Amino acid sequence: MNPVIRKASFALHSRVLDQAGLLFRASVSVQHPIQGSLAFSNERQYRTMPTHGIGKYKHLLPKEAPKKKKERQQMKQIKTATDAEYGTLNVKVSGYDMILVEHYSQYIHNLCNRLGVKVAESYALPTKSTEVMVMPEQGTKMYVDAILKTHERIVQLSQLNATLCPTFMEVLLKNQPEGIQLSVKLHTEADYQARFKARPELEGLMAQMT
Amino acid sequence: MAAPCSRMANRPLWQFITNVRRTGLKHTGVRQISLSSACRAATQTRSKTEGVASPWKLYGAVCLQRLPVISQERNPIEDQFAELMHQMELERSLLSDHEQRLLEDSERMTRKQADNYDSDEEEADYGGQETITAQDQEDSWEQKLKHFQPALRDRDVGGTPLGSVERCLGDSLVLLVQQTVGKETIWLLPQAQWEAGETLRQTAERGLNSLPEADFKATFLGNTPCGVYRYKFPKEVQTECCVGAKVFFFKAFLSAGSASQKEPFLWVKKTELQGYLKPPYLEKVDRFILNL
Repeated sequence: MNPVIRKASFALHSRVLDQAGLLFRASVSVQHPIQGSLAFSNERQYRTMPTHGIGKYKHLLPKEAPKKKKERQQMKQIKTATDAEYGTLNVKVSGYDMILVEHYSQYIHNLCNRLGVKVAESYALPTKSTEVMVMPEQGTKMYVDAILKTHERIVQLSQLNATLCPTFMEVLLKNQPEGIQLSVKLHTEADYQARFKARPELEGLMAQMT
Repeated sequence: MAAPCSRMANRPLWQFITNVRRTGLKHTGVRQISLSSACRAATQTRSKTEGVASPWKLYGAVCLQRLPVISQERNPIEDQFAELMHQMELERSLLSDHEQRLLEDSERMTRKQADNYDSDEEEADYGGQETITAQDQEDSWEQKLKHFQPALRDRDVGGTPLGSVERCLGDSLVLLVQQTVGKETIWLLPQAQWEAGETLRQTAERGLNSLPEADFKATFLGNTPCGVYRYKFPKEVQTECCVGAKVFFFKAFLSAGSASQKEPFLWVKKTELQGYLKPPYLEKVDRFILNL
């Protein structure tokens, strides 16, 4: 008789505990939607396990702003020259042999990295094709003799120290390969705009507006 | 062809525009620099506050270099390596447009000469026949190459004098002049004494321009000197106000110029400097002349 009563009381106790547990868990699960993590609705929740939610850390991190779409490219600020440093300089390497041009521009870039000169940008301008036409002695019609392609690479330096400049230029000039033209100029906005393609429809509409 | 374009704009900021082109001795280096008004005022005030003159005389000297005109000759090892690399690249490379055209043309020729040649089919595929095949072009190019006569590498086969600018075309040369310093005439880099109110770089330019019968157009690379040589006068010459002299060297590259052979000029390589300069002077000068 006693064990039966004990079992009944035990069953009652367990039921009470279960209900209490359910209430507790329900209160915990209500908090989840407030935290705003939708993943939990998809996952299976082993809530009875003591290790439930053991790996959660996102709620501890500071709130991140939502990721913006990539903005339209703006021009980098053109730095002006101060007393000790030059402004934004464009080192232009151009020539007919693409291998030499590319290798030389890579050499300049690596040299700047080594010497601590900041390289703002390093880009290539479109290749220009030149047709060489030959006029024979007899006859007037010119015919195409050869097509020469001029390749250009630009390395943009931002803070070239005035004390470093003579040494830097000398190393560049002494290592210049054959057939390559080197030119160092100040970077202007016109240079930047020249890289973009012309948009005739937009220009037509703007002209119509004004 | 990319022509040397030199943009000259006048702005009150630092500007550095240079364009050097390797075409024989016709170096066209154009350079323009303009000091900002603030910088000029700063230098003036600095010179005024120095009421007490320092006991050192200041000189500005210029290290004028002529860049090599042709490429240097290769070592035997460099030769072998270059050949090896060339062969490796050739074996790894793909066919170019011209080579593909050659192959297509030769295939077409073999197909034409075959028995079951259908000219209508061929022409439908290729449109109009090209009058010049790739092989013909190659032959004409080879003919032109035979007509081309390259100039001699070494113009000084007979031994040009040391004063000639066209001496060793594969190396960079430094200009030396003979000047009287103190009591003796010695070989040194052209220099001039500093006068108040001018920058040291202007002193160096003046030293270069004041060389008699010489017309060198130089491009200075910057305002900063590349080296200093300090020496004390011998005891009998020393007075209270001048104990010795300091020579500041500036680097410049030759863009155009000529000199008569009579004047004592020397264009020497770095290795030959030893024979002309005094040891303490040479020690300082050696430090900033690059042997590239």
